[in-house]
Amino acid sequence: MAKLFDFEQVFTNIPELLKYLPITLELALLATFIGLVLGLLLAIVKMKQIPVLKQIAALFVSIVRGTPVLVQLYIVYFGVPMFFKYLNTKYGTHLAVAEIPGFVYAVLALGLNSSAFSSEMIRSALMSVSKGQLEAANALGMTYGQALRRIIIPEAMTVALPTIGNSLISAIKGTSLAFTCAVVEITAQGKIIGGRNYRYFEVYCSLAIIYWLVTVVIEQILKAVEKKMAIPEQVESYIEQKDEK
Amino acid sequence: MSLIEIKDLHKKYKENVVLDGINLSIEQGNVIGIIGPSGTGKSTLLRCLNQLEIPEKGTISINGKEINLSSRKNKKEILALRQNTGMVFQQFNLFERKTALENVEEGLIVVQKKSKEEARRIALEELKRVGMLNWANHYPRHLSGGQQQRVAIARALAMRPQLLLLDEPTSALDPEMVGEVLDVIKKIAAEGFTMLLVSHEMAFVRNVSNRVIFIDKGVVVEDGTPKQVFSNPQNERTKEFLAKMYMLEVEPEYII
Ligand SMILES: Nc1ncnc2c1ncn2[C@@H]1O[C@H](COP(=O)(O)OP(=O)(O)O)[C@@H](O)[C@H]1O
Ligand SMILES: [Mg+2]
Repeated sequence: MAKLFDFEQVFTNIPELLKYLPITLELALLATFIGLVLGLLLAIVKMKQIPVLKQIAALFVSIVRGTPVLVQLYIVYFGVPMFFKYLNTKYGTHLAVAEIPGFVYAVLALGLNSSAFSSEMIRSALMSVSKGQLEAANALGMTYGQALRRIIIPEAMTVALPTIGNSLISAIKGTSLAFTCAVVEITAQGKIIGGRNYRYFEVYCSLAIIYWLVTVVIEQILKAVEKKMAIPEQVESYIEQKDEK
Repeated sequence: MSLIEIKDLHKKYKENVVLDGINLSIEQGNVIGIIGPSGTGKSTLLRCLNQLEIPEKGTISINGKEINLSSRKNKKEILALRQNTGMVFQQFNLFERKTALENVEEGLIVVQKKSKEEARRIALEELKRVGMLNWANHYPRHLSGGQQQRVAIARALAMRPQLLLLDEPTSALDPEMVGEVLDVIKKIAAEGFTMLLVSHEMAFVRNVSNRVIFIDKGVVVEDGTPKQVFSNPQNERTKEFLAKMYMLEVEPEYII
């Protein structure tokens, strides 16, 4: 009788799965990036109370938060092509729907999902920057955009860094659903392996190990970045160079 | 012709009229002390002048060029005006994630588009002026309140504003740090910078200003040399205020 649990298999699976790790990481990083950019826009719309956009943003966030990622992936995967086809028939355009790879849909759906969750944390990070700094920037003659880019976002970043890390980690977990868009990343590959040798349990154990290690590594990287971004405890006095003149 | 002319400035928050027609001409090199009870609109006046608040009505002319303070539309004009006025805040408002040097360089680089080297040269000079050169590499959190305020003054001066606005620059400081900041203000006043100084340090205002105005209920009720205003105020409200601040030099009548 075959072994109930093939311990070795858990580890021999790993190299084959790791070949697909780059896809998982690309998906997660791109989705997090889109999530941050879009989340920033949503946060600014809410902070500046821009009419109409504000209501649209609130509705978007509410829908995304209130529906499962899996469903969102399906909706984007089937919805976007339908929308393009509608445009094609209505306006006689020739948008090449079939050529868009599933990867794009997966990134789009995961990015939209991430933006809804990160917008609120981005907003509170932006609001944590003292209003006085914005006023000081304005008083110097800086525009809102300049103040945002040079003063507010850099400080908000340090506040938001741990939550940005969480978004990245949840995006990584989210990528395990990307098979819905016909993307083969590590989980999809794991299912393929499992289907080949019927050792599903072993391959899921392998996957668990990989996801866990990736998360641990990301946490460590974040800690290092946080440390690097921190204002130093103490600095040396500035010594005037007498020979400068 | 005056350097700066403020005309008919009105500002209210909802029904609360804060500025009720302020007129002021400022000559080059004037150091104007602004005194008055709290809540009379002294901060609001300064904040309207560099458009941190938008008044309902009012104009400012700088070097003969008139700018409408109440219009929200023209961003370019607002930016031009802000570059003509420098602001020193009660709470310093230094950029937390920048060193003292970077704080002073910021406006030079971003707004005035100066080169990195030039900005650095000017910034070091200004830090030296306020006695903070040795702290150029320090971040605000490494500095005491008085030191932060001196950096904030350097930051404002580096932009070479026509008019420097100081809103209670020592009110947030521990008593032992007030002196160092007042010394710096006195020094730059002597160097000929034109400024509006809101302060409750009456002795200092009297000493450093060459003109004092008393604002109450949104209008200028007294305007004269320090000697005139402190020794011989014309308005009852000024007398009352100065008596409260123990600054009225004539004997209050009720003592007799
Ligand atoms: N943003 C604001 N909204 C509503 N009222 C305000 C605001 N800022 C100031 N005020 C009111 O305007 C009045 C003048 O305030 P301020 O200019 O700060 O006075 P001062 O600096 O002379 O103490 C006060 O009654 C204050 O409550
Ligand atoms: Mg005030």
